[in-house]
Amino acid sequence: MNPIFWKARNSLALKVILSTVILSLGVVWITGSALNSRLSSGIREVNLNSAIAEARSTIFTADYRFLLAQGEKDSIVQKVVDDVISSATTITSNENTREVVFLRSPSNTMIKNYEIASNFLDPVSIPQSLSERVRKSNDTVWQYTTMRYSLGASVSGLAVGQKVQIPGAGQYEMYIVFSLANEEKTLNLIESYLLIAGIILLILITLITWVVVRQVVKPVREAARIATEFTSGDFRQRMKVYSQDEISTLGRAFNEMAESLEKQIARLENLSRVQQRFVSDVSHELRTPLTTLRMASEVIAESRDSFDPTVARSTELLVAQLDRFERLLEDLLEVSRFDAEVAVLEAVDFDIVQLVNRCAEDLALVANERKTQIYVKSAEPIIMIKADIRRVERILRNLMANAIDHAEEVQIDVQIQASERDVAIGIRDYGVGLDEGALTRVFDRFWRADPSRARTRGGTGLGLSIALEDARLHNGELEAWGRPGRGAHFVVTLPRKTWDSIDSRLIPLEPEDYRV
Amino acid sequence: MTLVMVVDDDQDLAEMLGIVLTGAGIDVDLVSRGDEVMDVFRNNPPDLVLLDVMLPGLDGIEVCKLIRAESMVPIVMLSAKGDTQDVVKGLEAGADDYMVKPFRHPSELIARIRTRLRRTNAEVLGLLTIGDLAIDVQAHQILRAGKQIALTRLEFDLLVALAKEPGRVFTRDALLSEVWGYRHSTDTRLVNVHVQRLRSKIEHDPEHPEIVVTIRGVGYKAGVMGGS
Repeated sequence: MNPIFWKARNSLALKVILSTVILSLGVVWITGSALNSRLSSGIREVNLNSAIAEARSTIFTADYRFLLAQGEKDSIVQKVVDDVISSATTITSNENTREVVFLRSPSNTMIKNYEIASNFLDPVSIPQSLSERVRKSNDTVWQYTTMRYSLGASVSGLAVGQKVQIPGAGQYEMYIVFSLANEEKTLNLIESYLLIAGIILLILITLITWVVVRQVVKPVREAARIATEFTSGDFRQRMKVYSQDEISTLGRAFNEMAESLEKQIARLENLSRVQQRFVSDVSHELRTPLTTLRMASEVIAESRDSFDPTVARSTELLVAQLDRFERLLEDLLEVSRFDAEVAVLEAVDFDIVQLVNRCAEDLALVANERKTQIYVKSAEPIIMIKADIRRVERILRNLMANAIDHAEEVQIDVQIQASERDVAIGIRDYGVGLDEGALTRVFDRFWRADPSRARTRGGTGLGLSIALEDARLHNGELEAWGRPGRGAHFVVTLPRKTWDSIDSRLIPLEPEDYRV
Repeated sequence: MTLVMVVDDDQDLAEMLGIVLTGAGIDVDLVSRGDEVMDVFRNNPPDLVLLDVMLPGLDGIEVCKLIRAESMVPIVMLSAKGDTQDVVKGLEAGADDYMVKPFRHPSELIARIRTRLRRTNAEVLGLLTIGDLAIDVQAHQILRAGKQIALTRLEFDLLVALAKEPGRVFTRDALLSEVWGYRHSTDTRLVNVHVQRLRSKIEHDPEHPEIVVTIRGVGYKAGVMGGS
């Protein structure tokens, strides 16, 4: 595409100026050509009329003199012809010349020949068609022609002719040929003046349009700039309103919108602060008594050997439930942090293979209890990533714990794949699996795959939901696959650098071992 | 007998901490207001301070700064929030370690306190050097050109750990287990903050450290001054 058109699409000013110039070019062109043709035809008509009148009187005079010379000697007649030519021919310094041509009519068979043309004008300058018309008519006849001189010069001209009788020589055609060089010059001059006037007019129109467009576009540009800054977070930006025109109306409308947005944002920010404050307070208020409770329960539990069996068992339950309560509290606080959008990433460089292995080792005991094992397989021995290690560890633990819960005494396979930009971890179990309905709800808070199944590990029901939030906080993704009775597959994909986005799925969600 | 000062505004928790610590053979001084800490501290200097962040009167971070201004005593912060800002603020104010409530087990608390109290590196004899510093482990002194540099016990331990094995690159995890006694922790903030504090005391130009050198993506090692 033409670059100027491409630019015009992006600039209002250029667009308006360009279309104004194109339209005015059309208008100036049409007006100019109309003016030019009217002027030139007027000038031609005036010249033509005066030329014909002049020719008529010249030819009439010549005719009269020939009549007077009737019966004279040839030398007298010759003198009359010369006189006629010299009086009809003007030799002036300017080019407004007149030439005279005598042609013998073809029907004339007399011996004496007076055919002549003044000033070396070539008789071919008289068009054949004009000669024919002269022969047929008794009046003067005219036609535009080109005057050719035997010396080579040629100018446009007008030939006016009539039949004359030369005494003792028969019928001749007498032509007066007017040079139109001056008229041509005048017309050319008019044409070039019109052209210059047109160009100046166009330039002026362009300048005026530019000035006008600037007046309109400047505030529009200003509005666009302010709107952009507003979008990028500077909510104090306002448009300047000077007058009462449409631009100012736009400005006022924009300012009102900005005002109301600023208020809304301030309100939301305040709400978020209140929420954050509340979370922090609840956290503090609950944790302190919980700490006391836990320490007290531990102190009691230490002497459990001296208790009778029911009290000893009750102590065990107390300790276990306090553990669970604490986990639930942690998860709830984390969820509320996500909801308040105050969760922050604390990215560090670490080896994710090492982290996966450590999580698997930590959970090996629990896995053993459930008669399953976790096998970790990595594509590379070391995969360094920059991420929030606490959150990544929590994702891995939640996914592994979930797999252990549903493994049904079959092994669990964990694989790690990495590309230049991304890293993916797939956790595959071959246990109860998930059906379609379960897949859509598996990341819902407090959702249970099968309400009749006991939550054996005392999970909080928030693990997968938090894992998903953690993955998304890294611009990563966590996806689940499952088939009833065929196990489940959870794949987490994370960018290797913080704030990058993931651009691939390194581990296909449908496991390679699964065939329908 | 070891004396630990427990500063917490929650009476029940303070009492419970007292019971647990006394049970472990540690004497306890209980303080419940931030603005009372310094008086008690000066009258009866403890071996370690267990300091809550949220306190009436004066907040824990300010108290921590006041104590650091006068003493190199180990300080362990107790935080109810896991929020980084508070933890980092506490560490920057001079705390050696922190524990987030609720603690897993009372034994964990006692283990932390013992780690901070024990005479680390007692097995190392004589003088160590790191950069242009001389370390007298026994006398617990750091000397540069004969002049002593005051370090907290933890900073001292951190420096000794690096100086003991000059060629070794310590990962943050390795330092956590060596210096803080954590089995496996991923909390690298502790290491980062303390390395910064240590550098501000011993480096000629903390922006371009030469004694404690960062190995990007791995950890830290003892630097060789003057190049080699």
